[in-house]
Amino acid sequence: MTDEITPELFEHLVELAAFAFDPDEADYLRRELNNQLKAIHQLENVPLPDDIPPASHGVTYTAQTKAALRADEWDPCDNPEEILAQAPEVDDGYIIVPDIPQTELD
Amino acid sequence: MTDYEVVIGLETHIQLNTTTKIFCACKADSWEEPPNSNICPVCTGLPGVLPVLNEAAVAKGALLAAAMHSEIRLTSFFDRKNYFYPDLPKGYQISQFDMALGNGGYFDVPMPDGAVRRVSITKLHLEEDAGKTKHEHGVRYVDFNRCGVPLVEMVTGPDLRTADEAAQYLIRLRQLLRWLGISEANMEKGHLRCDANVSIRPVGSTVLNTKTEIKNVNSIEAVRAAIDKEIERQIEVVESGGRVEAWTLDWDDAHNRLNKMRSKETEADYRYFREPDLLPLELSEAWRDGVLDSLPELPLARRARFMDEYDLPEYDADILTGDKPLSEYFEAAVKAYGGDPKAVSNWIMNEVLRMRNELGISADELTLTPALLVEAIRLVDTGTINNATGKSLLGKVQESGKSPAQIVEKEGLAQVSDDSALQDAIDKIMAANPDEVASFRGGKEGLLGWFMGQVMRETRGKADPQLTRELLQKSLKGEG
Amino acid sequence: MAILDQSAFSIAQKVQNGDLSAVEVLDAALERISAVDGKPGSLDYGDLTDEDCEKVHAFITLTADRARQLAEDVDARVRSGESVGPLAGVPLTVKDIFTVKGTPSTAASRILANFNAPYTATAVERLEAAGALTLGKVNLDEFTYGSSTESSAFQPSTRNPWDTSRVPGGSSGGSAASVAAGEALLSLGTDTAGSIRQPAAFCGVVGLKPTYGRVSRYGLIAFGSSLDCPGPVASNVRDAALMLSAMAGADPHDSTASMAPVPDYLAALGKDVKGMRIGLSPDYMQITFPDPESGELIRQDLPEEIRAATLRAADVLAGLGAEIVEDVPMPNTAYGIPAYFVISRVEAASNLHRYDGVKYGYRTKSDYRDLREMYRKTRAEGFGLQPKLRILMGMYVSAAQYSEQYYARALRVRSLIRSDFDAAFDPQGEYNVDALLTPTTPTTAFKMADIYGDSVLMQYADQLTVPANHAGIPGISLPGGLASDGLPIGIQFLAPDFAEETLFQLGQAFEDATAEADWRDARPQVLQ
Repeated sequence: MTDEITPELFEHLVELAAFAFDPDEADYLRRELNNQLKAIHQLENVPLPDDIPPASHGVTYTAQTKAALRADEWDPCDNPEEILAQAPEVDDGYIIVPDIPQTELD
Repeated sequence: MTDYEVVIGLETHIQLNTTTKIFCACKADSWEEPPNSNICPVCTGLPGVLPVLNEAAVAKGALLAAAMHSEIRLTSFFDRKNYFYPDLPKGYQISQFDMALGNGGYFDVPMPDGAVRRVSITKLHLEEDAGKTKHEHGVRYVDFNRCGVPLVEMVTGPDLRTADEAAQYLIRLRQLLRWLGISEANMEKGHLRCDANVSIRPVGSTVLNTKTEIKNVNSIEAVRAAIDKEIERQIEVVESGGRVEAWTLDWDDAHNRLNKMRSKETEADYRYFREPDLLPLELSEAWRDGVLDSLPELPLARRARFMDEYDLPEYDADILTGDKPLSEYFEAAVKAYGGDPKAVSNWIMNEVLRMRNELGISADELTLTPALLVEAIRLVDTGTINNATGKSLLGKVQESGKSPAQIVEKEGLAQVSDDSALQDAIDKIMAANPDEVASFRGGKEGLLGWFMGQVMRETRGKADPQLTRELLQKSLKGEG
Repeated sequence: MAILDQSAFSIAQKVQNGDLSAVEVLDAALERISAVDGKPGSLDYGDLTDEDCEKVHAFITLTADRARQLAEDVDARVRSGESVGPLAGVPLTVKDIFTVKGTPSTAASRILANFNAPYTATAVERLEAAGALTLGKVNLDEFTYGSSTESSAFQPSTRNPWDTSRVPGGSSGGSAASVAAGEALLSLGTDTAGSIRQPAAFCGVVGLKPTYGRVSRYGLIAFGSSLDCPGPVASNVRDAALMLSAMAGADPHDSTASMAPVPDYLAALGKDVKGMRIGLSPDYMQITFPDPESGELIRQDLPEEIRAATLRAADVLAGLGAEIVEDVPMPNTAYGIPAYFVISRVEAASNLHRYDGVKYGYRTKSDYRDLREMYRKTRAEGFGLQPKLRILMGMYVSAAQYSEQYYARALRVRSLIRSDFDAAFDPQGEYNVDALLTPTTPTTAFKMADIYGDSVLMQYADQLTVPANHAGIPGISLPGGLASDGLPIGIQFLAPDFAEETLFQLGQAFEDATAEADWRDARPQVLQ
């Protein structure tokens, strides 16, 4: 049986997820993914009548249980500086990150 | 050489002018505030926080949908659009994907040639804005003040054909947004942002060729310049036997050029799925009806009605419907006046607009209300003051807040229409200027205007021009 | 009776009356912690010593000073005659997946190890407002991803107080262990697939997964947003009810928190269970899982001792006049794990997108040329294998071209799982049960390192608990007896949406009826 997640597909997922792995880690992760997919494939055997809708939440919300939308009233946060203090690199109130290169068109 | 047709679709992001952000209670408008001062755990995507939808954002988005003839869905959903970018603190943007607030629709845009182009709306949904980044000294500076401001993303079909048409679309959209009172629509401040999808095809073809997406075309001028530049580039590529590739381009306004964005950043699979932190947005029919009922007459319809109902030339109607307060000002004045709407239009187009523009305020903020304007026009009509006095009177009303009649009375501005007083003035001027009288009598009848001016000066502008002209002519021709 | 041998309910009453000070309670708890807990979890812990292997290691961060401040505040209020809350002076631990302002909130991950939360989770805020003394943050599987607490980046990971060679379960392993070892009387946990109930069963304590939306998720560092439920871990049913009362209810910071009124849970406790209908389902007496080699499905009956404990509980309730309804079909139970493998991963991958080294938490210390490389290195170094596994799976099953096949299908299977419960609880239906009675877990606590690393087998530890998360319904795990090797066995009641009262009522009745049972006398190893 060939693996559903091939090394190539795995590399693509790694790229999407912004990861980088050494070969051992990659082997372990790819093997576990393929094993999990074997379990997931059980879902294909489930008889699913057309009238079964997807459930984004298990509990159904009603007009009585659903919260109202938020009124448009300003309530400022009292400690924005504590949020900023969590950032690894800050300069003059800005959070600093490395640059994103661009190519100029001729 | 092949002739090409250009196919343009616009993707606009419209900042709604709510008080607070879409999912938290930070201010929506923090223009020029210190970086990262208008932030909270929610809009900076701290671990554990949850979004709570702002009702006003929904109401304003729905109003725009109504104006675009979109179906306002009674049940719509929010979805997560997942991608990495430093201005996107959660690593996903809460947006609406397949079941958005608005469904379909169109926007009629009058073009300079008089035709109206119907531009289809293919997407109209609510989402949150990202933060701002700027690039300096080889790094990127991130500010989340703007992060989470409510946006409507509105996307057109490939219905525009020239850079100028694209510009017109934006001009009319900006007008509409302000008209509806849902966005300040100031492009410089990023309230209205635009990306343009551009492709070309030989004239006569109906295929949609590979398009490029130009990001950050954020002024009317930039839209024209960037699209024209890209059309030129695409034609060159095709003419030289190449193929246009589906690039994402970044418009660099400062250098007037397009930069290609790195493909890795753009070939995204956003892996949309329903935002589990928000429940479906459910609106009642009564609520939707309320939105539809509150939709005002739109600029284009009002323009047509002004032409029809008040017999205004298109030029006047267009200017008078430039913004909603102005159009309401005009209509209130016409109603109060009862006379020729064109006369009211002339007064507004010449005098009131100049005053409004100089003051930099909107028509409904003028102290010179439509009723006061009409009172002044009537004083002119009845000959109490002359036209020139009428014009200067408007400024005095605006400045003092007093009624035109009060000012005329207090300053003695009523025009001199007493024959004998005027005749005295004329006699005095003729006596003082014998050379000019002789010239006039020698055939230089153009000097009449000069004599009119002298009389006006003598009477400090209050002379009834009609009567002055008659008396002057009689006197100068020696008939007096 | 030693302070910590009393219930939270009784301690709070004594503190309220001034018979006991909150500081005395705190001191007793701190003393217990220093006796049994050993070294707190840390990122750079080397090999374990023999002594380490005999300690509980529930804590990541002990905030004794903060707790003392809370205790002194409670005592000052009592002295000045002000009212104090229903949890006055009760020592509480908080799973380190909740934010508490000014304290490290790590999610047991290197990527958040240095994150100091600038705000407090709603549930914690409410518990402290009710007088609870938060002792600190307790260990869990990294980002809650596991059923043994072994995947924590903070080692030593928590060990089972009944047998320290065994896991406490997970992911709320620190919560369950800290209550079982008497370090705290209450703990705030989270349950996404069984993460409260499974460790409660393994550690012989009470754990409740409330109805989805019953307790606000604000400040709960998200795993599966449509599944996550904060809930109480306690040593008895009354305390769990007391704790839920203090934290349940609508929250303007959580749109998914229900507006349903919060009943008086304590009032349900004494009610007679006579005439109540309790369902048993054969589908909860077995587990189904794919053979790791062939992928073939293996169906296996649960161990006899676990089945027996459940049936014994049914007999106890029958003896109290409840009606036992056998053979309630729950045919989609076996699909709970496969569907969970998809749904939770999609949500998790998205929820973990935000950890990128930009705004908070870990940023790689090595060099990077550009933003993308910074992201990659940060995430590669900051996340352990279990989060990485979940992210990659989430990426795969929600990719545009696979989403229909996997994610959309899993959401529809979720509807089927829900429909099993709807049918069982339907008052007009054939079964019309008030609650289902099931085992909580397929096994008792397993040996450390036995399953760790096998992500499939580990997940199947949740097979009997995860259906309630899919369906959103509440479930409670109670100590139901001891296995022959002396390890606790958990039994589970499942009830309709917002019927936590039913769970407390049944739980209390069972607890009262078995108060004199021999197995109730057993004490965890670390307390002997």
